[in-house]
Amino acid sequence: MQWRREGDRAGSPGPSAVLITFVTALLAGAAGVILAGLAAWVWVGAITFGGAYLASRISRGVTTEGPLKARRLLLMLDRGGSQETKAPAEFTEEWGTLYERLNKMAFEARTSSTALAELERYRKQADLAASILRDGKDPLTEAPELRVGPLQSLLEGIKTAASTPVVSRLPLGEEELIGADGEGLPPTWPKPTGESSPRNPEIAEGVARGLRQLVQDLEALAATLGGEGHRQTTATGESADLRTPAQLVDAVVLTAADGIEDLAAGLMRANELASIAERVTNRATLLALNAALEATRSGSEAFASIAEETRRLAEFAREATDTISRLASEIEYKVGETITAIHATSEDAKTSLAGIAGAAMPIPASARSARAQIGKLLDRARELQRGLNASSSDLAGGDPAAGPNSVQEHVENDPPRADKLPAEGILLIEGLKPGARLES
Amino acid sequence: MNMNLGTRGALTFRLGDFSFAVRVEEAGGVLDAERLAHLPGVAEPLAGVAAFRGEMVPVVDLAAYLGIEAQGPSAQRYAVVLTRGVDRFALLIPEIPKLVPGRDLREAPASAVDPELGELFESELETDQDHFHCLNYWKIFETMIPLGGAAGPGRSSVERVS
Repeated sequence: MQWRREGDRAGSPGPSAVLITFVTALLAGAAGVILAGLAAWVWVGAITFGGAYLASRISRGVTTEGPLKARRLLLMLDRGGSQETKAPAEFTEEWGTLYERLNKMAFEARTSSTALAELERYRKQADLAASILRDGKDPLTEAPELRVGPLQSLLEGIKTAASTPVVSRLPLGEEELIGADGEGLPPTWPKPTGESSPRNPEIAEGVARGLRQLVQDLEALAATLGGEGHRQTTATGESADLRTPAQLVDAVVLTAADGIEDLAAGLMRANELASIAERVTNRATLLALNAALEATRSGSEAFASIAEETRRLAEFAREATDTISRLASEIEYKVGETITAIHATSEDAKTSLAGIAGAAMPIPASARSARAQIGKLLDRARELQRGLNASSSDLAGGDPAAGPNSVQEHVENDPPRADKLPAEGILLIEGLKPGARLES
Repeated sequence: MNMNLGTRGALTFRLGDFSFAVRVEEAGGVLDAERLAHLPGVAEPLAGVAAFRGEMVPVVDLAAYLGIEAQGPSAQRYAVVLTRGVDRFALLIPEIPKLVPGRDLREAPASAVDPELGELFESELETDQDHFHCLNYWKIFETMIPLGGAAGPGRSSVERVS
């Protein structure tokens, strides 16, 4: 009470006020520190949450980009792709590669399906045309849709060919090739008629092609029959060496001779061993003889028994050596006989093969007459070709009246009759076909 | 022993058309004469020298000495060594001799003696199948190499030959 009064009296703070002020300042400082710490934590949290938010936003942007590109890919696939289409510029390298590959696949699938559909359409047209042709009608008249498309030219060609006589479509008639009597060819062909009628250049061209092919076939056939049987010409013009049967026999004999040579070498070695065994036997015999000699001279029974055993041993060795030598001699003799038999068999086989080759000619024509016949055919075909070439040259010259006869005209005027084809000619043709077997 | 014959047996062999015998009492052994050592400057019938029980013995080609064509079935040759005291020499023959026991041998009559053998002939032995000429082989050797009185004990045959 005293104190309060003095303080009131003096007008200055007392000790309790100072204390209160001090405590208040202390509490304020502590509160400030606490608040500053809280503020720092608030900032750290805010930065953390902000970063997390930004990261989530960024990642969300990446994941949403995939569906967009996929949708562009699907759109491209729906269009079917094209050769000009390129990957969008904003696509990454992987997405761009995927886009281009899918584009290529889609384009190929689209074109393939188109071609398949086109092919199916052609097949239906071909079926339709075939069914109409089977009915004996004209497909171009019956089915107008066949007038356009790839079958048009083919059907027109069929129509033209159908309107031409059958014989006239042959490059050459069988009668001209074989001869009416089967022995020779007509003396002159084609027959001159004094006028030219190159009315159908397409058929003439077909005849010319047939003639060229015929000449080539005949040349090859003549070369084959002319003694080149050991060489075979393939379709590509390559010639492959084929061994004749005689060469095959030689090869077999050579192989057997090699084996027998090896056997003979082994036999020589066996003979050497037999010679060594002979020497050993001789030594044993000498030993037995000397033992017996000593036993005889001394008169010793014990020495005599040893000498007897030695003699038996030497005798046994002698028998074995004689057997070996006899067997070796027998084997050597048989090897010699076998070699002789192989050589004789080889010669017989060659002779037989030569006989078979001489007898294996087509009946009734022999190879010589076949060659002669083919030579005549070849000459005639070349003559025809020259005439046809001259006719074509005249035709190209624009003077049809002055040109010689065409093959077509001759065939039309004087068609050969198939029933005149002689049996011998048929046999000759059959025999000359590739792969035909020559039988005796 | 066949006391009448005076031998226990004989080594027999053929030379051409002739059969010869060497009494076992004279024979020292039989050699394989495949590898004879030929002596320089010595002609037939001395064929060379051969080793027999550690000694060199001269080898005489009996066929060449007697002038007999003795071509055997092979080139194999053998030598029968004859001994007399310390003296030895060998006879070259084309086949392995056979030992005929004395019980199988008999003395042949003198009429069977081949006159071509002359003074070399000593005796004739026979079996049931064959006749054998026993020659004085040492006489053959001495005609080629005279032994004389120089041949004393302890000197080898090679020394006398040389």
